[in-house]
Amino acid sequence: MSASDRRVREVFIELSDTLVDDFDVIEFLDRLAARCSELLGVSACGILLADHHGALNLVAASTEQARLVELNQLQNLEGPCFDAFSTGRPVQHPDLRSARGHWPRFTAAAVSSGYLSVQALPMRLRDTVLGAVNLFSKTTGELDADTITLGQALADAATIGIVHQRALARQEIVTEQLQTALNSRILIEQAKGFLSHSLDIGVDEAFALMRSYARANNRRLTDVADEVVQARLTLTPSPSLE
Amino acid sequence: MTNISMIRPLGWTLRPMAVRVWTDWVDHDRSARVWGAIRAVADGASPTLAHAVSACAQALSAAGAGLAMTRDGGMLEPVLATSPEIADLDELQFELGDGPSGEAAAMSAPVLEPDLAGVAAGRRWPAFAAAGGARNVRGVFAFPVAAGAARVGVLTVYRREPGPLQREQLEQALVFADALFVLALDNRQGVSADLDEVIEAAFTARRAEVHQAAGRLASQQRISVTDALARLRAYAYSSGLSLYKVAIDVMSDRLHLDGDQPRGGGPPAKPQLTDPETAEKEEEED
Repeated sequence: MSASDRRVREVFIELSDTLVDDFDVIEFLDRLAARCSELLGVSACGILLADHHGALNLVAASTEQARLVELNQLQNLEGPCFDAFSTGRPVQHPDLRSARGHWPRFTAAAVSSGYLSVQALPMRLRDTVLGAVNLFSKTTGELDADTITLGQALADAATIGIVHQRALARQEIVTEQLQTALNSRILIEQAKGFLSHSLDIGVDEAFALMRSYARANNRRLTDVADEVVQARLTLTPSPSLE
Repeated sequence: MTNISMIRPLGWTLRPMAVRVWTDWVDHDRSARVWGAIRAVADGASPTLAHAVSACAQALSAAGAGLAMTRDGGMLEPVLATSPEIADLDELQFELGDGPSGEAAAMSAPVLEPDLAGVAAGRRWPAFAAAGGARNVRGVFAFPVAAGAARVGVLTVYRREPGPLQREQLEQALVFADALFVLALDNRQGVSADLDEVIEAAFTARRAEVHQAAGRLASQQRISVTDALARLRAYAYSSGLSLYKVAIDVMSDRLHLDGDQPRGGGPPAKPQLTDPETAEKEEEED
């Protein structure tokens, strides 16, 4: 396993601290995606949720790099996430260079972006699968059993975040929360596009800017995005962006 | 040689039922069925908001359904309903200032009340729960007609009998709300799409670039995201390009949509392709 037990404990405490009343689901998942990459020792992580059309939508990622966003989107046709979601089981491929026959489009895109192995972990709630967590590595090889167990615990934490501590809630509440997460993501994409013009910056930078602003001002990321897109909040690019 | 054996599902034990539920859930034909139901109600005419609201009420075995739309000031206003009784209920929610519809709009999420006569509903919406009960309505289900900041209105479904919507009904209601969203956007631009185009658009509309392009256009032209999305769709129809392709061109600054477009009627704006050659090279295959 790549992370110390101490660090794992810290992350779970950090995540549960985020689950306060009125927390922002995208902010939570964004943090979780970053911690997944760190703790599991992978290069990138994306969190995908299924919508009412049965399509997988990227709602958070450890990097907003456009290429990764595209890789995740591709999985409405084929790919490990699609498989994990459709079977409810974890899927991994230790060397994508030999997966072309199985996922031709996904594999070509992943390999050309420098990713050589992938894992996908289902996000399960009782008898349904809400989505999947997708892990990308720039090296070949399988994740060991401990790492997969930790990964699944993080995927379950994502599910809990989405159903908002109401894991035993009725289907209606799960639907409400899922729709909130999916809609929040749309809002963030709209705000990224808005800032790409108003500040003449890239969409990745636009996301980082909104996130820094939300954190520095203790605001919900979704509320910041909403005000940006309605021209009620003007952000200025900061040179100290991560 | 097949590589399928390389894909190693790990040893999760999962009840067989889970997989079956999932198979029901992922339904790429759901959109087609919802649009088919709207088509059937339209009976040869071009599908309208009223057709979609009626089809939704039928699909959900409801007493009726109503649509409230956002006016320019952001206020919701009931605009159409399947019967005078339902119109009355929709009006009542807005007059009283409580009820699931206003809350769905404020929260940007569905608000589902399986039983107005229940204790929880009485506490949550004291005035409306009593009024609905007196009109023999028990279940009220409200769905935002929106995508992010593009908030068009709320679809509300009323049922006589208490109880939650079944999952398939719930998923269908969400697709009906998407259909209303698309119809409302196209109304703004005075365009009417073909069924196939609408289904294609409904699928590609979920791609991140489409929403980014709506935000970018809103900033460029100082218009609402709703108007921006409507213009992107209208341009996609008039040019014969996919919405996704139009979005990519807007994001890469290859395409600028004219700001002087007349609202509600009139032809879509004349586009200005800054670099038509590059634009044509990158035809999207899906």
